[in-house]
Amino acid sequence: MKKAYIGIDKKLARWGWIFITPSLLFFSLFSFYPILNAAYTSFFRKNILSLKPPTFTGLKNYIYLLKSPDFWNSIRATFVFTLGTFIPLVVFSLLLAVMILLVNKKSQKYLQLAYYAPAVLSSVVAAVIWLSIFNPRGLGNQWLNFFMNTPGIDHQWLANSFMVQFSTILVYFWKYIGYFVVIFIAGLSAIPGSLYEAARIDGADNWQSFWRITFPLLQPTVVLVSVMSMLQCLKTFSTQYLFVQSGSPQAPINVITLNIYNTGIRDHQIGRSSAMSIILFLIMLFFTWFQFKASKADSVSY
Amino acid sequence: MKKTLIVLLSLLALGLPVFATGVQEETGPVTITFWTHEDPNRTALEDRYISEFEASHPDVTINRVTNSSSKMPELLLTAFAANEGPHIFNTQIEDGYAYIANGRVAPVNPEAVGFQSTEALTESYVDGVLNAVSEDGQVYGLPLELTNWAPYLNKRIFRDAGLDPEKDIPKTWEDMVAVSQRMVLREGEIITRRGFDFRYPYYLVSMVPMVEQLGGQLVSDDGKTAIVGDQAWLKFLQFMADWGPNGLNLGSPTYQNARKLFNADNNDMGMAMSGLYQAGRIRADNPEFYDSGDWMVIPYPQFKDAVKEVASAYYGHFYMVNGQKSEREQKIAWEFIAYMLSHSEEYLTEVGLVQPTKQLMASETYANIPYADVFAADMAKGNIVYYAENSAKIQELIKEAVEGVMLSGIAPEKALASLKVKAQEVLDQE
Repeated sequence: MKKAYIGIDKKLARWGWIFITPSLLFFSLFSFYPILNAAYTSFFRKNILSLKPPTFTGLKNYIYLLKSPDFWNSIRATFVFTLGTFIPLVVFSLLLAVMILLVNKKSQKYLQLAYYAPAVLSSVVAAVIWLSIFNPRGLGNQWLNFFMNTPGIDHQWLANSFMVQFSTILVYFWKYIGYFVVIFIAGLSAIPGSLYEAARIDGADNWQSFWRITFPLLQPTVVLVSVMSMLQCLKTFSTQYLFVQSGSPQAPINVITLNIYNTGIRDHQIGRSSAMSIILFLIMLFFTWFQFKASKADSVSY
Repeated sequence: MKKTLIVLLSLLALGLPVFATGVQEETGPVTITFWTHEDPNRTALEDRYISEFEASHPDVTINRVTNSSSKMPELLLTAFAANEGPHIFNTQIEDGYAYIANGRVAPVNPEAVGFQSTEALTESYVDGVLNAVSEDGQVYGLPLELTNWAPYLNKRIFRDAGLDPEKDIPKTWEDMVAVSQRMVLREGEIITRRGFDFRYPYYLVSMVPMVEQLGGQLVSDDGKTAIVGDQAWLKFLQFMADWGPNGLNLGSPTYQNARKLFNADNNDMGMAMSGLYQAGRIRADNPEFYDSGDWMVIPYPQFKDAVKEVASAYYGHFYMVNGQKSEREQKIAWEFIAYMLSHSEEYLTEVGLVQPTKQLMASETYANIPYADVFAADMAKGNIVYYAENSAKIQELIKEAVEGVMLSGIAPEKALASLKVKAQEVLDQE
């Protein structure tokens, strides 16, 4: 029998499949399966502690959620947090990355390390650090009162509805800015220096170079950072959870993930919380698709 | 091929009985996992009980795991949801009741805990104590502690504010406001010393009784209506709004836990709400303060125009046994629980926990515990905390209402309207 000829492309493709199979399996087991399982569970009334079989309720969980003021408040809280965090994160991490690249090499390393340091902390540790800062007798009031010359004012970082939302945004911004700065620095370093030299010869100043060369060529990185930071913000949990545990009012910061947790764990209603997580998943999917579509990230070439 | 397969299957069928051993009682080493909440004083005791029990039961290993009491409910729930719960656990009855309602825990084996029958076991406890863990004539848990709260008072801070701890102790909530206003110290709006502050996350235990004093109820007697008595609830919510940072600014849930600050005696907490066990914790955290005699316990205050005398609700931490474990493991688990609970006097003297057996409550040991009389008198005026499958959710709704009026400037009427609707919805879903 004659052996079928296999081209080099196909051989390479086979090796490719072999290499990615473990990660595909891992991804399927820990990401796809839970999503599918949650989608399935969302059609049932299921008590997490009950040994009885769950009752099929069709779309009732979704209908309940869409009529629930609490759920819509969670949507509001999630979007306030996401918009309030991810836009400043993208803007300031880009600015900081550009500024870091303007200083000398030694300072660059120090600044990168300083900005990146909070990113290595777990979200829980970050929230605990900031809880002590935001305590009425903590550094938050002391610093703000010193700079604003308002001795003795309690700015109610954890109590006032507006301030508690701002506080969660501040914690997240502090924690993740360094991470995105590093990504932007990698993106900026990939832009060929010859483009800037040519622009300088043509008489362009730094401002023009940034808007005409850096920013357009950095578009794929901007999209990457936007998508990553937006997804991070949409699934924020631990900061809000710990703040509520420490006495903050829940409603202003009752983001969807916190609502999922409370519904599933505290209220034992795992079917309803699964429906919530599927809605969150669809929201995340839509905005990721929308950002890629709107930005045309793959149209950049040097 | 087919013939060979038939022959092989026949041989296998004939050979199977050779390996059959029949029903045998399980034997051999067994490890019992025991999850409980942190308490340094209790850990020392229970570690000793474990060593003693293991010495008398050579096949048994007890693996005691501690977690903070606030983390226990979710850790237990996730473990049980995965059918991997521990053999023994304890949690407050508000959280523990769901395990009974969902058939997750095993009934007490009376013989394993040293009684002839369930009736004899029930008879050994103070009347009604086991009601919260009883269903259909079976008992599903034994109390590690039955606890109510009362205010602990720092006499030195009291005197520092020009008050006399013998004459001026706050008997009413109105007195509590007046006394706290005398004791509070602030730098501008920021409180540096609180007179008294509430124990915030535990609204069912410490705040529902305030509503009951005014004639309100959490749930009607027939169990069908939530949040009964609008005027009582409104007065209570207004009281909390006045207490908070936008009112008289006497305290807030965002300040550090009052009960823990109290032990330090750092001139920043005049009074804090806690149970009898707090005395043991003061002794462990700050022996100098404990020995100084500069602290005391006063009865739970009443509103001046209270229509009913009600003190703090009492809650139980009940030891329960996972019903999904084998019968042998369940039996050993109950034997071990019984061994621990046979030291109720030591639990009381060393940890301040009351295991409400008739024998202990009538003992001299109990009578001689400082301030045990205050707690006992208050307990007689209180009810057991609201426990049901939905109690955590109901507590969350009260939290939302109280913190809404205290922190977010929501009007009591609006907070009450929202609380009524949401609590009723939860009740109707049961």
